[in-house]
Amino acid sequence: MSTRHAPTAASPPAQHGLAAVAEAWERFWFFPADARPLALVRIVAAVAALALWWSYAADVQAWFGPQGVLAADTVRQWRSPAGVSLYDVATSALAVAVLFHATAVVFLLLLVGLGTTVVAPLAAVLWASLLHRGPMLAGPADDCLAVLLWCLAIGPAGWHLSCDRWLCDRAGRPTPPGSFRAAVSRGLLQSYGSAITVAAVLAQLKGDAWWDGLAAWYLAASPQSRCSGLVPLLEGSEYLTNLLTHAITAFEILFAVGIWFAATQRLVARIALVAWPLIGLLAGMPVWGVVMAAFALPVAVGPVNHGQPRIGPADERGSPLPTAAHPSAS
Amino acid sequence: MHQSSRPHRPFPPPAACGPSEKVRAIVSGAIAVCLLGTLLSIAGDSDSGSSAIVRTVKGRLFSPWMTPPWLDHGFDYRLTYGAPEDAEHALEVRRHGDDRVGPASLPGTLTGERAARWERLARAIALDVDDADRDGLLAAAVGRGMFDDLGGEDVTVRVLRTLPTDRGGAAPAATPAYTARVRMARGELQLLRQEARAEVAPLVGPPAPRPGGPTKAVP
Repeated sequence: MSTRHAPTAASPPAQHGLAAVAEAWERFWFFPADARPLALVRIVAAVAALALWWSYAADVQAWFGPQGVLAADTVRQWRSPAGVSLYDVATSALAVAVLFHATAVVFLLLLVGLGTTVVAPLAAVLWASLLHRGPMLAGPADDCLAVLLWCLAIGPAGWHLSCDRWLCDRAGRPTPPGSFRAAVSRGLLQSYGSAITVAAVLAQLKGDAWWDGLAAWYLAASPQSRCSGLVPLLEGSEYLTNLLTHAITAFEILFAVGIWFAATQRLVARIALVAWPLIGLLAGMPVWGVVMAAFALPVAVGPVNHGQPRIGPADERGSPLPTAAHPSAS
Repeated sequence: MHQSSRPHRPFPPPAACGPSEKVRAIVSGAIAVCLLGTLLSIAGDSDSGSSAIVRTVKGRLFSPWMTPPWLDHGFDYRLTYGAPEDAEHALEVRRHGDDRVGPASLPGTLTGERAARWERLARAIALDVDDADRDGLLAAAVGRGMFDDLGGEDVTVRVLRTLPTDRGGAAPAATPAYTARVRMARGELQLLRQEARAEVAPLVGPPAPRPGGPTKAVP
């Protein structure tokens, strides 16, 4: 009746479509992936976490101490009712100091990759606790770092470039070549990176400054901007201001969409490694720029997969594992 | 999720090299719920508000478990609109009616992320005016927290706002966006908000006589 032939004789097109989606889902989330990119994300996240922790350090008692300006009962009234913080039970200056410095120790352990299986979720819990203690102090870098830490908590972020690896090597335990937890972690990083960018673009496009091309001027002219050297240039040329503004929007759209297509994802992710930190500098939020770049890191540096995974040694469950990376990295 | 640009050879089925079917089903469900929650957070937590259905579904099913790990956010980072809300905000606390003690100014000369946190606190105080549940909460807390530093139990909390500089224009001066007096009276913390002086219509005199028309004596 038709010159088109069905994909398989037994399955109608709709069923085949569903099967294709299911197969793509399985490949994306469950095909064992290399954990090396996660190790890089872990290191970047830990450095960003320490930088953000440091920004609290000088004022932590002035804010959260017993005589601080943000009394615990006030913050409980102010924040969401579902908010909860370990600092809520730290009622003395010593308890606040201990909890706060314990957070730094955990971030340092995350950086060197010691006890990562425990340290990564602990870092996420302690960071969320600190943010809930003073939600009005938190900014975009804090939000995105929280997401990053939870993604790392899921995956085997300590399998490479870590003290854990060194200890395993000394004990003669081989490195597992891949893990489905790495695939889930990497998939979540990619999804969140894209979703956060979509939300940011939608918010930006509600404002006139992003349409009339002056947003870059307002960002550069702000005292917080690390690109104040651009101000004379932008003041001298409206076209340059417009170009920079529209370039930011275009990059964000490109990143949010392009990271999902095999043909573009590697290129887009590598551009993002440069573009996000530059946008962060312009906006006066350099740590936010670095954290956003970290979402692109697994795609940018992940090993290339040519479609046929090599079979490597057995994983934790004893199944044979491909040594190739996530199939999305092509 | 996406296709390889190279000729695609079949992967071994995940079942052969990954987790069991049961684990995959559970993890798939968790991922789907997590992504749906993120989608609802983006739809429901923006400055534009949200529909009743998104608010209700998110509030009842997702916020209780997404808020504690700090995942219930709209991520609506507009960076700037060049609007007053995007202005630089600074906090100034001084002893009420006593200029001998210099004011505590924050972020003052601080820079970087540390300064940004004080600025966010100042901005929250100014913007809380529009939120009946939060109005005055932070200002009172900040005022009370500064009693010891300023050596008195009667202080004025001000948030100063410096609007974004227009292209080619001069940098505008800082103007008060919020002012309140915080004092301890008979063991009770009081916040006396000073409203900004309202703009009023200019005074107008009697209408000028029309040329050639009759003149009328002004009483």
